[in-house]
Amino acid sequence: MHASIDAKRDNETAWKVRLQEWWFRNRALIGYAFIFPWFAGFIIFDAMPFIYNLYLSFTDYQIGTVGTPPWIGIENYTEIFTDDKLFGKSMFNTLYYLGYSVPLRLIFAFSIALILNLRVRGMELYRTLFYVPSVVPLVAATVIFAGFLNTRYGFLNQFLVLIGAAPVRWLSSPDAIKPSLILLSLWGFGAQMIIFLAGLQGIPEDLYEAAAIDGGTGWHRLFYITLPLMTPTIFFNLLIGLIDGFQVFEQVFILIGTHGGPLQAGLVYMLHVYNKAFRDFEFGYAAALSVVLFLIIFVLTVMLVYTSNRWVFYGDAQDDET
Amino acid sequence: MQRSRIFVLAMAVILLLSLGLAPALAQDCEGEVIELEFMNWWGAHREALMDTLIGHFEAENPCIRVINQVQPWDNRAELLATAAASSNPPGIIMSTRPETYQFALSGLIIPIDAYVEAEGTDISVFYDGEIGLQYWNGELYGLPMPTAGLISPLYFYNKNMLRDAGFDPESPPTTWQEMEEVARALTVADAMGVEVLGTNLGSNGDAFVFWLYTNNGKYSSDDGRTLLFNSAEGVETLEWMVNFTNEINGGIENMTDFFQDTNFSQGDHPFFDDALAILHINSAAFGHLNNVAPDLYWDTDSWGVMIRPYNGENPDAKHTGVTGYNFVGAWAYTIPAAHPPEKQAAAYKFAEFIGVHELGGCAFLFAQSRPSPVKACNENPDYYEINPYWDKVKEALAVDAPVQITPVQGQLAEILTNSVEEAFFGVKSAEDALNDAHAEMQALLDEFWAEFDANNM
Repeated sequence: MHASIDAKRDNETAWKVRLQEWWFRNRALIGYAFIFPWFAGFIIFDAMPFIYNLYLSFTDYQIGTVGTPPWIGIENYTEIFTDDKLFGKSMFNTLYYLGYSVPLRLIFAFSIALILNLRVRGMELYRTLFYVPSVVPLVAATVIFAGFLNTRYGFLNQFLVLIGAAPVRWLSSPDAIKPSLILLSLWGFGAQMIIFLAGLQGIPEDLYEAAAIDGGTGWHRLFYITLPLMTPTIFFNLLIGLIDGFQVFEQVFILIGTHGGPLQAGLVYMLHVYNKAFRDFEFGYAAALSVVLFLIIFVLTVMLVYTSNRWVFYGDAQDDET
Repeated sequence: MQRSRIFVLAMAVILLLSLGLAPALAQDCEGEVIELEFMNWWGAHREALMDTLIGHFEAENPCIRVINQVQPWDNRAELLATAAASSNPPGIIMSTRPETYQFALSGLIIPIDAYVEAEGTDISVFYDGEIGLQYWNGELYGLPMPTAGLISPLYFYNKNMLRDAGFDPESPPTTWQEMEEVARALTVADAMGVEVLGTNLGSNGDAFVFWLYTNNGKYSSDDGRTLLFNSAEGVETLEWMVNFTNEINGGIENMTDFFQDTNFSQGDHPFFDDALAILHINSAAFGHLNNVAPDLYWDTDSWGVMIRPYNGENPDAKHTGVTGYNFVGAWAYTIPAAHPPEKQAAAYKFAEFIGVHELGGCAFLFAQSRPSPVKACNENPDYYEINPYWDKVKEALAVDAPVQITPVQGQLAEILTNSVEEAFFGVKSAEDALNDAHAEMQALLDEFWAEFDANNM
């Protein structure tokens, strides 16, 4: 009797030990459990639509296509690069927008972050005030901005006239449409500013103290301490800014409509994709345009990451190498 | 005490009535109630009117419950496309002519000829030009409401402004040349743009086509296979539009700026501020004007209505409107193919009610002081009581001319608009702009017809 109870107890203990050992070996499961919701979301809402989109880009999928859309190989891609006049135009407009908006936003956000990193009384209030525009919904911000840009009554032109400058036809001149969109892009600098601010606060104070002892001026501290140590943050914001910039859509859609403004000077790439999908109902073609955009962003991202070794200063990595 | 008793009694009566009426209404339907989602763009300001229409329909058809799904105008294209293409589309969809054609071509909606025959619907009650726009490839896909006509042939004008400038307000411009004279006299511009405007001719493809017809031009051949807008009349029309806009209004940019952030239907428009003398607008404007400025609406000494001017120097030109050209106008109520036959039948009943019933589109449009595509509705003498310019409305209906289009009209219209803009911005001459547009558009159209013919051989 006792022997059987002991054996049972031994079995239970062994089972518990095995369970504990298994759990220890597989303790990473708890981590996986935590990331599962994101992973499931990624598979369902990102990866699967991406793969399906890739498939559709090789088909003549149009609205109402019943069953399997007809496979047309690379025909959509051929048309994009040979027949589609608006592909080049929309890509040029997007690159123009990117070329100005990304650096300007980086500089603007970084400058504001530098100011907000100063030790001044009530700084929390200033930080909040500067971040507030970023929490305004994009639609509302764009509508407000449209008012600012009104030629006759808008704040910007009133200001220009006040200082003796000529008013600008922000939304009616083909030459001014892209600058208007670039100006609007500055509105959402808050997110980048917060990231810069976090980066700035991570810079050890003793580096500045050492520079001060060596007679370094404010400019010296900025160019020889702050900027090098902030390059990982600048790199991150640059990358996110580029990816976002390529996909600019909502503000353009609201500000100048699907046509893209006068002479389609504001027809950005995503607006072209939208028109192909929802005006012309050529979903297969729109899918191909999306894939082309993805490839462009992908290649640029890889290039940036590759070249980042030359200009991004990762303190730890440098230490390891030495 | 007495008051509280009356209040309690009244509440009890209301409760009893509501309890008693609800089952009574439900009992009217002996079978299963079919729910019909009605996707439409009539706007929140007309929602109550549409609910009244639906109430009348449900009283006559107790087994059909219509859910009024008024959609926001923003993102309309994607809402419509995704709803129509989904496996569970709305029961009935309000679509424009180009969309109806696209859906018909894709097999997303069903032709209604069989229902028309089975239900004995008399479609001869519609103006030929109105019902004719709803046919694609010989099959009828929807019943119209409101009119496709009266999109272009009318203009509203400010009598006070004409009077102050020395013109007879009872003899507004009837030709391009007279309109130019009025516009030159009234337009005031400064460095910031236009302060007071005679009129704006428009600067997109739609506006060009509207003016083209008042110069005896045509957009396309009657079979819709050949584009004709780059004729001598077309070039003359675009040159006139560009010159007018540049010389009198100070350029296309002035016009965009002048109308930026304005909305006639909300009363926020230069027409209400005596800053715009002549406004080319569609017939929906009657309802909007009555809605946002009722005093002005009834003050016929202050504003008037006239038919769109024609080119007085072209002996063949005359007052002409354009119907069914593009996005605006030619609305119909289409039935998705994805639904079972009983739901499609219910949808047809509702479409028929909207289309031909006196308490349907007829009453709905009457309440907005605008005409109906049903001839008899417009003969209602009460229209004269609610629309001070009803005679002009009827006169304008008579001058409308239908335009033949195809399911690729959206793409064609976009190309034309781009070219017209190029002429306005001086990138190309009017002739080159139209010829280039014609070449590109005709190639697209030929491609469409080639594919269509191959599939329908």
